Amino acid sequence: MNLDKKIEVFKKSLMKGTKQKGYQRVLQGLKNTATIAVLGLLIGIVIGTLIAIVKVIPKRGWISKTLDKIVTVYVAFFRGTPMVVQLLLSYYVLFPLLGIKMSSLAVSIVVFGLNSGAYVSEIMRSGLLSVDPGQMEAGRALGLGYGMTMWKIIVPQAVKNILPTLGNEFITLIKETSVVSFVGAVDLYSVFNYIGSSNYEFMVPYLCMAIIYIVLVLIISGLVKLMERSLRASDKR
Amino acid sequence: MISVKNIYKNFGDLRVLKGVSCEIEKGEKIVIIGPSGSGKSTFLRCMNLLEEPTYGEVWVDDDLVTPVDPYLHFDVIRASRTYAEKMLAARQANPEKSEEALDSEIIWEIKEKDLLKKHEGGAYNALIKQIERENSLNINLARQRIGMVFQQFNLFNNLTILDNITLAPMKLKGLSKAQAADKAYALLERIGLKDKAAAFPQQLSGGQKQRVAIIRALAMDPEIMLFDEPTSALDPEMVGEVLDVMKELADSGMTMVLVTHEMGFAREVGTRLLFMDDGQIVEEQPPKEFFANPKTARAQDFLSKVL
Repeated sequence: MNLDKKIEVFKKSLMKGTKQKGYQRVLQGLKNTATIAVLGLLIGIVIGTLIAIVKVIPKRGWISKTLDKIVTVYVAFFRGTPMVVQLLLSYYVLFPLLGIKMSSLAVSIVVFGLNSGAYVSEIMRSGLLSVDPGQMEAGRALGLGYGMTMWKIIVPQAVKNILPTLGNEFITLIKETSVVSFVGAVDLYSVFNYIGSSNYEFMVPYLCMAIIYIVLVLIISGLVKLMERSLRASDKR
Repeated sequence: MISVKNIYKNFGDLRVLKGVSCEIEKGEKIVIIGPSGSGKSTFLRCMNLLEEPTYGEVWVDDDLVTPVDPYLHFDVIRASRTYAEKMLAARQANPEKSEEALDSEIIWEIKEKDLLKKHEGGAYNALIKQIERENSLNINLARQRIGMVFQQFNLFNNLTILDNITLAPMKLKGLSKAQAADKAYALLERIGLKDKAAAFPQQLSGGQKQRVAIIRALAMDPEIMLFDEPTSALDPEMVGEVLDVMKELADSGMTMVLVTHEMGFAREVGTRLLFMDDGQIVEEQPPKEFFANPKTARAQDFLSKVL
């Protein structure tokens, strides 16, 4: 088959289908990919913030020390195993054992959130630590409490370092969604794979898929650049 | 104002302060000098507990801001189980010695050998609790009375100059925004930087930043000001403007403690000079006398290098 013909086949299969037409599947896959990445990041931000708080506050009592140990193990696990493994473990082992029934899409969202939480916590922690310690000292020396100084002085400065890196984390998540078909969730990769295998013709569908991924990523990294610039504009010199 | 009682500070194995004591009276301008690494900055930072002493106590007026150091309270030592055991043994061993002699011997031994580490029983704990209950003050409250100026200025980079000055008075003293701003403008007027109120710290020169840092501390109406090498990070041409503000402050009667390398300023403004070396106060004199005839060899050596 020459390329023209292959494109012809692909176009046809976009319009084929009984329950769902081909292009509707693609849109469905795109929507799921976006949903998993966006919700995953949101859950990740919540979890990551909590972990970063535990990591950054001074450790005095046994509660903070225990919490610190727990989150250390958490981060080590989610950064130390592949996302696929985490997905498979959750979908086929953990959730059935706990008696939780969830769709593969929901499981994917939860796992992406948990995974991203580990990475986001590190992003936030390093963002907070990158603020000059003198800022905290100055706040404390005036009599402001630790929490107040954090909230009024440290966090606003850390956000400038954190936001652009969070954008990069989002890009990573989008690309990683291609593994959710391992547990049967429908995403961008799985719909193009489906179209390809129904015609025994993969070249055009996979090419199309790659282009969609790259366009998504380019759009987001463009937004991140814009955000970076506007953040830097506020520390005018 | 502030009294520092026999403080030690260890950073891991590094012993930075080895038993430093100092009483600061109202209106004094105390200058601390010494070679680098002598512990003078750490000593200053212990006064408002930016560094927590490993041993020893810091009192701000009648308030204890560090944990109780049992070795500084003889009654506490006497209430300990260790003391009771030692006393019993000592009485039997030396029946001819007086009670007072035994008492001071045992207290000295307990202090020297650091024997109060283990659990010491009810009477001991009750005494510690009582001292804490009667004297302890939250450090945040004490710090409101102690202003501090840093070598690196440490203005809040995310806030305008005005907000830098008004933040603490609004949050801690309950001033309204307008009241705090009025006060801030008055202070800015005093250092001639009223037009910079809306600027961010990055837009100011080093000298301007440090002057703002001084009035930021003054906005809390502190009773005492600590200066940690306030001119060391400045370009030479900006040192003067900062020293002028400090001079004016000194003349207004503010109690000041200053770690500095500005010997001329130390001589001019200081009422008492502490020369520190190797974690201890080696010499304590009025500055003019110190510079004219330093007593110790270490001070003479130091002055020969810096003057």
